[in-house]
Amino acid sequence: MRGYFLRKLGIYAVTFVVAVTVDWAIPHLMPGNPVLTLVGRIQVQDPRVAQNLYHHYMRAFNLDLPLWKQYWYFWVSLFHGDLGTSILQFPTPVTTIILHALPYTLGLLIPATLLSWYAGNKFGALAARRKTLDNTLLPFGYALTATPYMWLAILLSWVFAVVWHVFPVGFAYDPTATREWSWAFVSSLAYHWFLPFLSLFLVAFGGWAIGMRNLIIYELEADYAHYLEALGAPQRLIRKYAFRNALLPQITGLALTLGAVIAGALVTEIVFSYPGLGYQIYRAITNEDYFVIQGIFLFIIIGVLIANFVVDIVYIIVDPRTRIGMQGSGS
Amino acid sequence: MKRIWRRTAVGLGVIALVATVFATAGGAGAQRKSPLAGYPRNQTLITSGSQWGNITGTNPWVGGAATGTVGLLYETLLRFDPIKGQYIPWLASNASFVGNKYVINVRPGVKWSNGQAFGAADVAFNLNLARFNTNPWNNLYLNVQRIVPKGNTVTVTFKSTPNYVQWQNMMYNMPMVNPAQARPAITDAAKLTTYSPANPIGTGPYTFDTAGFDPTTRVVYDKNPNWWAAKLGVSPSPKPKYIIDLVNTSNTNSLSAVLAGVEDLNNNYLPGVQSLVNSGKVLTYYKKAPYMLSANTAWLEPNTTHQPLNDPVFRKALATAINVNQIVTQDYGNLVLPASPSGLLPTWSKYIDTSAVKKYGFSYSTAKAVAMLTAAGYKKDSSGYFMNKDGTKINLDLSVPQGWSDWEAARDMIISSAKAAGIQITAKVKDYNTWRDDRNTGNYDLVVDNNYQISDNPWTYWNGIYHLPILTTGTGQTNFNFGRYENQTAWALVQKLDATPPQNTAAIKEINSKLETILMQQLPIIPLWYNGQWAQFVSKYWTNWPSSTSARQYTPVMWNGYLQMTGIDVITHLAPKA
Repeated sequence: MRGYFLRKLGIYAVTFVVAVTVDWAIPHLMPGNPVLTLVGRIQVQDPRVAQNLYHHYMRAFNLDLPLWKQYWYFWVSLFHGDLGTSILQFPTPVTTIILHALPYTLGLLIPATLLSWYAGNKFGALAARRKTLDNTLLPFGYALTATPYMWLAILLSWVFAVVWHVFPVGFAYDPTATREWSWAFVSSLAYHWFLPFLSLFLVAFGGWAIGMRNLIIYELEADYAHYLEALGAPQRLIRKYAFRNALLPQITGLALTLGAVIAGALVTEIVFSYPGLGYQIYRAITNEDYFVIQGIFLFIIIGVLIANFVVDIVYIIVDPRTRIGMQGSGS
Repeated sequence: MKRIWRRTAVGLGVIALVATVFATAGGAGAQRKSPLAGYPRNQTLITSGSQWGNITGTNPWVGGAATGTVGLLYETLLRFDPIKGQYIPWLASNASFVGNKYVINVRPGVKWSNGQAFGAADVAFNLNLARFNTNPWNNLYLNVQRIVPKGNTVTVTFKSTPNYVQWQNMMYNMPMVNPAQARPAITDAAKLTTYSPANPIGTGPYTFDTAGFDPTTRVVYDKNPNWWAAKLGVSPSPKPKYIIDLVNTSNTNSLSAVLAGVEDLNNNYLPGVQSLVNSGKVLTYYKKAPYMLSANTAWLEPNTTHQPLNDPVFRKALATAINVNQIVTQDYGNLVLPASPSGLLPTWSKYIDTSAVKKYGFSYSTAKAVAMLTAAGYKKDSSGYFMNKDGTKINLDLSVPQGWSDWEAARDMIISSAKAAGIQITAKVKDYNTWRDDRNTGNYDLVVDNNYQISDNPWTYWNGIYHLPILTTGTGQTNFNFGRYENQTAWALVQKLDATPPQNTAAIKEINSKLETILMQQLPIIPLWYNGQWAQFVSKYWTNWPSSTSARQYTPVMWNGYLQMTGIDVITHLAPKA
């Protein structure tokens, strides 16, 4: 068991170093110089001042150093928990931006992912057994999952917010709300949260439901199911086993989705002007804000690695075959 | 089955609740105690359209600060009314050149928001901040000999001929920050760029609401009940108790927010807004076309180092070939005005030399463009396009930032009208950063661009167009002369204009006239249309918006640089909807 975890941890460490290096390299290799955006937005009447500002910012961001030195400083800062300073939002630290945006994204994506997974699997399992459901609601699931997400989000926003004014058009809370622990504020948050949540939930729900329905049908056709049937086991028991087996690939799927949850909200947050990490990544990429791009992707890398590690553990718990396999290799 | 659905429903509820609370606690940064249960909508002015991306704080010098940092929070010594073409005495009761000295008379009775008096020493402190080379006015400080505060007066002497135009321009742009707060914080050039106190002290009509500030969403200002201008009877006391400026979202969302009454004033370009004005849903400065006041000149910028754009005759023919009216009517739906051939904005109309425009101006005529090129010795190839004089093919690239849909439509119209005159232009798609870097480094043939906003003096426009020398290292061309047009005579005239005392009106007129003539003869830029001061307002909560037909003729935008024009007057003249 210990050997298994050590091996896993080693793989994760190597993956981390490689991923973080790529994370650092990509923004730095992008064409264009973000400092020019910063200098360009300052109204000056003399290029000498623009040059002064340019050199000042290049020094402040260490961008005047050779690339290898910038890379070295990046790792040094990383181990000091310092993700650098945003270029576009100078002098805001990247960690401040991330910590401000993270709760919005998690608050949106964790419920949407977990609920769609839970409800989608239950519904899929049900659909596999009920002809009526399979013929009526499941096609709806196909339609949902085949819908380009962006289109669905824009449609929801347009219909419910722009045309009918049932939901707000943007932001995480009402512009006139004061941020406090009050019912008014919490309900304002929920009101602004619902539509982006719904759009994410609907699309993911369709995907999980179809996946589960197909897996159950496959499992019910498996030899062990027929064997149980021949033994005279009740249908309920057979379905229970089929469901458990079908759940395994779905757990892997969930883990991967959860790991990438932080980046997943990109389109949602842009369409609904929701101030989470996805929106920040979008702003950072379009403005070449190296350090914000790096910082947010670092979070995603860590998120994916942790999620994978958790799945490894969960698998040991839910799938006895893994435990037996490990004992076998250990003996 | 029922059990499953019940569990699903319960799970859904629980997770939704957890998520909401989570977001409340973290993302919104909830304050435990607040005196209000929300900003009362009927006492709050909500604006948007100025803030792109997160709000970085209240540094008034280096850009990206909260909307209203200069204007609502910090004020300037003078203001400038671009419609009347007059300076408005503000923190200074007078600020002007007396001979070759600059004399600032500080208005008695002005108070900081902490109740302390604003005086000459405060003005001197702010002028002296330009000694740091990261200050936008550092170039002017290099020519300063002494800044002497005495009594209520600050006198500035210069090492050589003063930069008359730039000094006067600085007077309505340089914010006055509080020395007691800023002095310990700004100790070097680097600290000037990071200065952003949590509770800034200004002289303005509003104070910064720290609890309401949310960098991804909004900035909130509270009314300063002791604002000097209202106390002294210089300005009406503004009625909105709070001002909330929202970070920009998308065009669709902005339009919807205006229509739903979420925003009172929006300063985004909203295509098709004229139909809402015509149906009475939204108000604009003019009731009819062009609906908006002009803000800046959009032009076609030829790279004058590339063949055949290095030939003024070719540039003139190109200008003549462009159907600007088509852009104005079809692309903009008459929300903009076609530009004068000199490109000078309507606010500078008194400087326009009509006889020069008549003599050297250009107007759309495909036939004339063809005739000009033919007369200059350009010949067409077998495909019907003009070739370079050396017989090589002409195929110019034209780029605008990707996704700027109005400019993309204008680009296509320019291409098709140039094609009719036998000039081959091809659209090149570039994202904004690439477009900007290519423009700055000269890696383009043609771009559509707009760089200089309305100001007190056309010098800012000429300085941008004719600035020399051309920089090839470091920043490249950051703010000036992207077309790399080298004309020493024109550049000398620009410098001369800056060095001409404001009383010398005849000389100023003559220099402007010469610069216009050079522009129209040489066309280092090809003026196309005037972009508007995009402003749409609704009267759901506030009335008395500015309009061309009332006495309230003010600049209705919150953009950086406009509040200290007459933007603040828009706010002080609003009345609550009865």
